[in-house]
Amino acid sequence: MNLLPGKYRYVPVLAMVFFGVAAFTPILNEPGLQQTFAVAFLFAALALTYDLLLGFTGLLSFGHALYYAAGAYGAAYAMARWDWGIIPAGIFAMVFATLIALFTGATALRVKGIAFAMVTLAFAEAGHVIAVLNMWGLSNGDQTLQLNFDSVPDFFLGVNNTRNLYLLALVTLILIYVAVWWLTQSSMGRVLQALRDNEERVSVLGLKPFNFKLIAFVLAGVMAAFVGVIAVIVTNNANPVMGSTQTTISLLLMVILGGIATRWGAVIGGLIYVVLSQRLTTLDTQGALSGLPEWIGGPMSEPAFILGVIFILVVMFSPGGIAGALYRLRMKFGSSVK
Amino acid sequence: MEIFITLFITGFGLGALYFLVASGLSLIYGLMGVLNFAHGAFLTAGAYATWYFTTSIRADGSLSSYVISLFIAGVVGALFAVATEQILIKYLYDRHIDQALVTVGLGFVATSAYLGWFGSDPLIVLPPTQLYNTVQIGDAFVGIDRFLYIGVAALVLIANFLMMRYTRIGLIIRAGVENRSMVTALGIDVRKAFTFVFFIGGFAAGLGGALATTYASGVGPTLGDAFLIYAFITVVIGGMGSVPGTAIAAIVVGTTQVLVNYYVQGLGDFVVVMLLALVLLVRPQGLLGKVAH
Repeated sequence: MNLLPGKYRYVPVLAMVFFGVAAFTPILNEPGLQQTFAVAFLFAALALTYDLLLGFTGLLSFGHALYYAAGAYGAAYAMARWDWGIIPAGIFAMVFATLIALFTGATALRVKGIAFAMVTLAFAEAGHVIAVLNMWGLSNGDQTLQLNFDSVPDFFLGVNNTRNLYLLALVTLILIYVAVWWLTQSSMGRVLQALRDNEERVSVLGLKPFNFKLIAFVLAGVMAAFVGVIAVIVTNNANPVMGSTQTTISLLLMVILGGIATRWGAVIGGLIYVVLSQRLTTLDTQGALSGLPEWIGGPMSEPAFILGVIFILVVMFSPGGIAGALYRLRMKFGSSVK
Repeated sequence: MEIFITLFITGFGLGALYFLVASGLSLIYGLMGVLNFAHGAFLTAGAYATWYFTTSIRADGSLSSYVISLFIAGVVGALFAVATEQILIKYLYDRHIDQALVTVGLGFVATSAYLGWFGSDPLIVLPPTQLYNTVQIGDAFVGIDRFLYIGVAALVLIANFLMMRYTRIGLIIRAGVENRSMVTALGIDVRKAFTFVFFIGGFAAGLGGALATTYASGVGPTLGDAFLIYAFITVVIGGMGSVPGTAIAAIVVGTTQVLVNYYVQGLGDFVVVMLLALVLLVRPQGLLGKVAH
């Protein structure tokens, strides 16, 4: 399902260029806003890796946050406890996440559908427990594992260099976007999509579904771990929330909101989700909700409440999310149908 | 040895709470293939109902108020569940992934609504003083509340068994779990049974929420989410759609978790997950599950 016909093909490229240039103009020159967008880019990238599983392979995982957290903690740990530089620490973290993804993926893929979702959920919960309870002194628990400032080049440190972090996050998003695009266009990507649509036929053709699904699972995990490594640099720590089920569920929300299996849908969903979460909180502190009665104003001040309601409405009334809605609009009014 | 007895019965009690959540999950999934991520929200609703009743309506701390609050919590959970089924899930029949997604969204919305209404700090619920007593078994002293959890769960299990065995609706549910399309083909509307399953599942979850306020000495917005994950594990280990299987799995999960956690904090949660992985490798349909879905 490629929802971007020829003449819109360059929109994502233009958007990325816009965001890159905007950081040097007054539009996006404030460090607070740049930090918000940097986090939004990382979540958009993470949502893309999740879409590779959910949208392009048809695997509903509730444990994707585990690999994100494994990347973040692996890198933060190597830097904090072993004084490694960011590059070896990042490589270590990705190898670490690969091994975890291989083991958990190979186990979880023995079952299908909802059971698969639950097994991944359980594995992620085990990782989350290790992080929260600081088991074996690995994680520092709720104190978070802080970034070792000696391991990172100076131009990524301090408020004055927020723009560099912003650009780092943007480049990460672009890299992940290209990687996911390349993967889904490749012959392996076609097999994955065929598996999503009709697994039996693929196995009749002589291909082993398990192997392909495991490869997709591990690749998505490694890319999530990469985003986790970058997240340590951008947010200065690795914390237990990264590996929580809540994080995976927000990824699910982003992908469904933006539009499943469209790539740019996941990106838009991720950006909207993060920016909205931050801005809705501001809305509340500015007193925009003060006129409402407490029983409705209370929940309205929680961004998750509004995002959750939007999510339910999208699932019920607009399958395909924002991308699907745009597609239907174009079908209805547009003359540009190829 | 006395430590073992205390821990074992505590774990058994925790397993009883898991069972209250998991039995509904298992039936809902078994009958309609709906994975209900909002089930934790039903539990939390029941827990807040108990808090409200025992602090604002009858704050006398008596045993009778507590018992009434259990019942009210059950009703609140049941009403929430039926509303969920009628308003959200009913319109998405046979769109299984969308049904699961809608319940994910609802759980998300409910947790943040609780957060907005009641704040993030746990609200303390004091059980009646009778529940602070202990019972001596051998040399071990065990909190009497553990036996309450086990007793309530046993009642639910027996009621469930009798209903399944001797009523028409129970027959329809059993047949529906076995082969839904055949039951429908015989002209029986399985959807009515489904609403009913949501009712009893919600009731059990609400009841579990009321008891969980005693177990966790209070209620916070994420109380249900914490139970939901282990309830999921219980359901998978026990076999989807099998209530007796769920009961056995609940005991195994609860006791394992408590016993191992006593020796290494957190390791019990970890071991339970590994147990799940092991069961899926050896017996993917779960302990008493009939067919792998």
